Amino acid sequence: MIVYRCEDTLESVFTAIYQAYEEKRNHDDTFLSLTDDPLLFAEDIPVTADEEKTRKVMGTLERRFGREDCERLAMALASEDEGKAQAIYRTVVQGLRGKSRQGHLFDNLADVWVHRAFALARGVSTEVGHQLQFLRFQELENGMLFSRIGPKNDVVAFLMPHFADRLPIENFVIYDEKRNLFGIHPARKPWYLLRGEEADRPQNLRYSDREREYQELFRQFCHTITVEGRENRKLQRGMLPLRFREYMVEFQ
Amino acid sequence: MEYLVSKGEMPLEDKLNILTDAAKYDVACTSSGVDRKGDGKSIGNCVAAGICHSFSGDGRCISLLKILMTNECIFDCKYCRNRRSNDVPRATFTPEEICTLTMEFYRRNYIEGLFLSSGIIGNPTFTQELICRTVWLLRNRYRFNGYVHVKAIPGAAPEIIQQTGFLVDRMSVNLELPTAEGLRSLAPNKHRKSILTPMRQIQTGIQVNRNDLVLYRNAPKFVGGGQSTQMIIGATPESDYQIINVAESLYQKFDLKRVFYSAFVNVTGDKSLPALPGGPPLLREHRLYQADWLLRFYGFRAEELLDEKRPYFNVMLDPKEDWAVRHLERFPVEINRAPMEELLRVPGIGVKSAGRIVAARRSGSLTFPDLKKIGVVLKRALYFITCSGRMMYPVKIEEDYIVRNLTTEKDRVRFGSDGMSYKQLSLFDDVEFTRPVTVIERQQAAVGQL
Repeated sequence: MIVYRCEDTLESVFTAIYQAYEEKRNHDDTFLSLTDDPLLFAEDIPVTADEEKTRKVMGTLERRFGREDCERLAMALASEDEGKAQAIYRTVVQGLRGKSRQGHLFDNLADVWVHRAFALARGVSTEVGHQLQFLRFQELENGMLFSRIGPKNDVVAFLMPHFADRLPIENFVIYDEKRNLFGIHPARKPWYLLRGEEADRPQNLRYSDREREYQELFRQFCHTITVEGRENRKLQRGMLPLRFREYMVEFQ
Repeated sequence: MEYLVSKGEMPLEDKLNILTDAAKYDVACTSSGVDRKGDGKSIGNCVAAGICHSFSGDGRCISLLKILMTNECIFDCKYCRNRRSNDVPRATFTPEEICTLTMEFYRRNYIEGLFLSSGIIGNPTFTQELICRTVWLLRNRYRFNGYVHVKAIPGAAPEIIQQTGFLVDRMSVNLELPTAEGLRSLAPNKHRKSILTPMRQIQTGIQVNRNDLVLYRNAPKFVGGGQSTQMIIGATPESDYQIINVAESLYQKFDLKRVFYSAFVNVTGDKSLPALPGGPPLLREHRLYQADWLLRFYGFRAEELLDEKRPYFNVMLDPKEDWAVRHLERFPVEINRAPMEELLRVPGIGVKSAGRIVAARRSGSLTFPDLKKIGVVLKRALYFITCSGRMMYPVKIEEDYIVRNLTTEKDRVRFGSDGMSYKQLSLFDDVEFTRPVTVIERQQAAVGQL
């Protein structure tokens, strides 16, 4: 039994997949692990992420399974689940072995690993959807828009394209406070991600004068739009889970 | 006698309050149907699925900045809060105010765009012009590229409706009441004909535009997100059968994207309106939406769901379950072989899971645990399907049995509530078992009378 020990990054997991194929392992007896938990009778192989190998794996996956399924694999890898590397690995093996056509990688939901990877990707894409809905920007003194979020999964990379397309002429930052990760978009320029140090945590942000006004207006709007005769807090909670409210101006 | 005279301009806050309050009963408020990338110069894009940015206390989504241009109105519709004879505070937005509000809310990701309706001020054409001017300003001066939904005002000049159509993503004309008689009795200033005319105009406009777009790729889009309408449910005595028939013909003859149903809330207290002691008819509204989905995505026809003899939906079962138990001769359906259309008719299988079943059975035959993974609601589906010729449990394919099992414990008719008060005696499950002991009983027990 072989266990590849990866780090929690897309590069590391894809490098491990490359190595497993390069070293001609028996895929049914090979595991990818993100943790250091020892396994009995297992041979540990540490993996160091390699850009070249990652690129090759990504190329193959995209050529064989199509862009959409590749994006789904990437989404599954952004999940907080620890078993994700193994699920991705076995899904890819299953797809290459069964000669899945483009866009049909996740068809075989009866397979345990495919279903696992599918469920992870679905979970992440649901959260991405939620963040697109519920993320709020606040205007800082210098006109920049700043948003603080605390997502379960690592979703900032999936949020940036949407907002960069939507607000091309704005300077904005999306800050993931759980991972200390910044998504930065300078006006009219491409966006990028920045992993911050502990000292970089934003503090004492000064908001613009108008910011408070508009927050108050929106709070009132949300309040007024409720039809009293139909009040249904349970439905509201179902559609808008409580964990997002900490970050939303209308619930402050 | 003194009259209150407003001193100067009303603050924006109060205006927003009044005009939001006046617009909140309009339900046709989604941001879906248009997929438009940002152009890199202006603010905004559109996502086909639509995005809800918040949910209000009634559980409905807040997607667009839903406001009226003004709540002054020359009409006197009996169900409407903004009717001429109602004594409510009145306000009017300037176009600039609407534009600034939309832009500032949009860049903070509060909203997905603007929903602009209006009371009739002056005459319908003038009102439509005001709306058109506001949207023009928003698109061209403020460079807003997001979603805009406006009302077409019945009775407005066709040219101005045409102009507005080129600026917005969706337009809607409210049908208000499903039948012409209902409209006549509650909305004396509106006529069926004046409502259907702009609807037809927009439909033709969209078709003509579609042909233009084939020829000239960069031709401006006319109402790209299609048109919608809304009907008030429960203000007039129409049956569900009439309502879904109207909805079906709107989908077929007018190419509507959506028909919205709005449970009637009595806000004016007019004597010709029904009193609703149990609150607005929310369950009825829910059933109508379920049926609406069946019409649009599941290949059902209106006369399959209801008919003259059964003009109302079942309160206990949803329309699909109801249809299925009345057509048991078509079940059980074999999951591994049935075509998509038949899968779609099984309660508990939706459009998504039907698609997944068809894809997954290519790689091997499916079992019940697999169906669970795929997302089929087995609780409802198990009475109607087989996997490789077997049912999940030994169940009887019999109407009474299935209905009894489909309705949950709490929905079932409670013992005694239907006037039937006899039942098999049992020593152990006395219904009054958990009743607290009263003070009198305690005293009786103490003195040995009980």
